Amino acid sequence: MKKLIDIQNLVKQFDDQVVLNNINLYINENEFITLLGPSGCGKTTLLRLIGGFETLDEGKILFEDKNIADIPAHKRPINTVFQKYALFPHLNVYQNIAFGLKMKKMPKETIEQEVLKALEMVKLKGYESRNIKTLSGGQQQRVAIARALVNKPKVLLLDEPLAALDLKLRQDMQYELKEMQRALGITFIFVTHDQEEALTMSDTVVVMNEGHILQIGTPIDIYNEPKNRFVASFIGESNILPATMIKDYKVNILNTEYTCVDHGFGEQTPVEVVIRPEDIELKPAQGGIEGLVTDVIFKGVHYEIIVMVGTIEFIIHSTLSQTVGTQVSITFEPEAIHVMRR
Amino acid sequence: MKKLRALSFPYVMWMSLTIVLPMALILLVAFSDLNIFRLGSFTFTLEGFSVLRSPVITTAIRNSFRFAFIVTALCFLIGYPVAYLLARSTSRHKTLFVTFLILPVWSNMLLRIVAWERLFFPNSILNMFGISLNLIGTDLAIIIGMISMYLPFMIFPIYSVLDKMDQALIEAAIDLGASRVKTFFKVTLPLSFGGVVSGVIMTMLPAMTAFALPARLSGGRTLLIGNIIEDYFMRTANFNAGSIVSLVMMVLMIVLYLWILRFDKEGETLI
Ligand SMILES: Nc1ncnc2c1ncn2[C@@H]1O[C@H](COP(=O)(O)OP(=O)(O)OP(=O)(O)O)[C@@H](O)[C@H]1O
Ligand SMILES: [Mg+2]
Repeated sequence: MKKLIDIQNLVKQFDDQVVLNNINLYINENEFITLLGPSGCGKTTLLRLIGGFETLDEGKILFEDKNIADIPAHKRPINTVFQKYALFPHLNVYQNIAFGLKMKKMPKETIEQEVLKALEMVKLKGYESRNIKTLSGGQQQRVAIARALVNKPKVLLLDEPLAALDLKLRQDMQYELKEMQRALGITFIFVTHDQEEALTMSDTVVVMNEGHILQIGTPIDIYNEPKNRFVASFIGESNILPATMIKDYKVNILNTEYTCVDHGFGEQTPVEVVIRPEDIELKPAQGGIEGLVTDVIFKGVHYEIIVMVGTIEFIIHSTLSQTVGTQVSITFEPEAIHVMRR
Repeated sequence: MKKLRALSFPYVMWMSLTIVLPMALILLVAFSDLNIFRLGSFTFTLEGFSVLRSPVITTAIRNSFRFAFIVTALCFLIGYPVAYLLARSTSRHKTLFVTFLILPVWSNMLLRIVAWERLFFPNSILNMFGISLNLIGTDLAIIIGMISMYLPFMIFPIYSVLDKMDQALIEAAIDLGASRVKTFFKVTLPLSFGGVVSGVIMTMLPAMTAFALPARLSGGRTLLIGNIIEDYFMRTANFNAGSIVSLVMMVLMIVLYLWILRFDKEGETLI
C-alpha cells in the first residue's frame, strides 16, 4: 500500500486553545479511514486542514510526499461532502453536480456524460432539473456525494454525512458509501461520532479525544483491545441518549436525575450520555425511566432486549430474559453513565 | 380571527385616509377639469394630458431617470464592495462600522442637503484649506449629494444578505475548484442578488422623486420631475397638471419596480 497523506506533528490552535495536539497519522491509497471521537475533539478541524480551509500552526501535511501547504485549496485533488451538504440553492441538481467539472473547463458533452453517470450512481436519475429545496434530506445527501465524486478526487472528505438521516436510511447509505468507495478506489476520510458507523464502514479507525489521537487500528483491534478507558467506553454497542448536565456529578437523562461520575461540563449543559447495553439492569416497573419491552432476541451468551421509552430505543444485554409487552424500569450504576459533549 | 380583524380597523382607516383617499383625488383631478378653488361642476377630460408634450416636462422626466440610473449604478459600485468587506470582516468593531453607516440616515435629510450646498458654494468653509469646490449647478453636485443620501440604502440590504450567507457554500465552491474570483461571480454574487435588488429599489425610487436635493444643489438650474410636481402644487396651483405628472411617474415607477423584481429569483438569471 502506498502512503497518500502523511500528517506529521500537527498542531492547531484557535486563539490560545490547542484544538489539535501533535497529530501523527498517515493515510494509504484506497483506504476507508474514519476519524471517530466525541463532539469538539477536533475531527472537523483536522478534515478542514486537509481540505485547505484552515492553516496549521506547527508540523506539516504531506500529500504524495509534497507539502500540501504549497497547493491552494481549490487546486487540491480532494473533495468534500460537507456536514450540512452546502448545496448551492441557486442551482438545480444538474448544475450543482456539474459545478466542479465546469470549473475545470471540461467540454459540455463530457460534463453531461459524467453528471448523468454520477446521478445514476447515487440513484437520482431523472432529478436533473429539480430545485435543491424540493429534495428530501436523503436526496440532498446523495446530490452532495455525487457533486464531490463526479470530480474523481484522489481523496474524499466526509464530515458526518449521515448524521441528519434517520436510522434506516443511514444504514442503507453506510452500505452504499462503502460500495462506492470500493468500486471507485478513492480514499475516504470519514468523520463520525457514531462508533457503530465507524466500526462497520472503516478499514482503519482513528479514535480521537480532546485534540489527541488515542488509538489507530482496524475496527477489530479497536473493539477487542481498546488502549484505554476512554476508547473502551466509547467503542462497542451503546445506548447514546440526549441528556442535560445539571451540574457536576448530576445529569438529567429523560427527565430523571442521576448521579454520575462526570464533571466539568458546566451547568444545565446539553450533553449526550452513553450507556453500554451490558451495564443496564431491568427491574419491574418502579419509576425512573420506564419503558415497554418490545423485542427479545437470544444471542447465545445473552439476550438482547429492546425497550422502547417513548420514541427512544434502549438496547440491553442481559442473561435474564424478559416477556415482550411488560413495563420495566431501566436502571444503571453511576459508573455506567458516560457523558459526552454534544 | 374576528377579534383580530377588529384590531386592524384603525390601520385600515389610517391607510384609507393617507393612501386611498389621496390616490382617488389624484385620479379624479388628473382625469377631469376639476378646479380645487371652484368646486362644483366639472367634466371628465383627457385634455390635461397634453402637458406631457411640453419640453420642460419631458426634459425633467428624462433628467429624473438619468440621475436615478447614474446614482443607483454608482451606489451599487461603491456599496457592494463596502457591504462585502463589512460582511466578511471579523473585526470586533464590525457593529461600530455598521452604526457609523446608519448614523447619517438618522439626521435630517434637509439639513444634510443644505450642508452639501454650503460646501459646494464657491465660498465655503473649505476655503480655509484653499479649496473652492464651486459645484453648485453642476450635475456632479446632484450626483454627489444623492449618493451621500442614498448609499446606506444600497449597502444595508446587500450587507444583511451577505452577512447571513452560509460560509459553507463559499467553501464548497472552492472545494470544487473555483478560484476566489470565480467563487465570487458564481456563488456569492448570485446568492446576494436579492439584496442587490432591494438596494436598487430603495435607491432608485427616492432618487427618481427627489425635489429638495436637486432644487438646492443645482441652484434651480436642473429640474427633476419632483421639482415640476412641487411647482404645480405649491406655486402655480395647477392641480390637474400636477396630478397627471404624478400619475405618470407612479406608473413608470411601478413598471420599473416590477421589471427589477423579475430578476430577484435568487440570481437564477445571472448564471
Ligand atoms: N473557527 C474556530 N474558532 C475557534 N475555535 C474553533 C473554531 N473551529 C473549531 N473550534 C474549536 O475547536 C475544537 C474542535 O472543533 P471541531 O469542530 O474540530 O470538533 P469536532 O470534533 O468536529 O466536533 P463535532 O463532532 O461537534 O462536529 C472545539 O473546541 C471548537 O470549539
Ligand atoms: Mg464536526
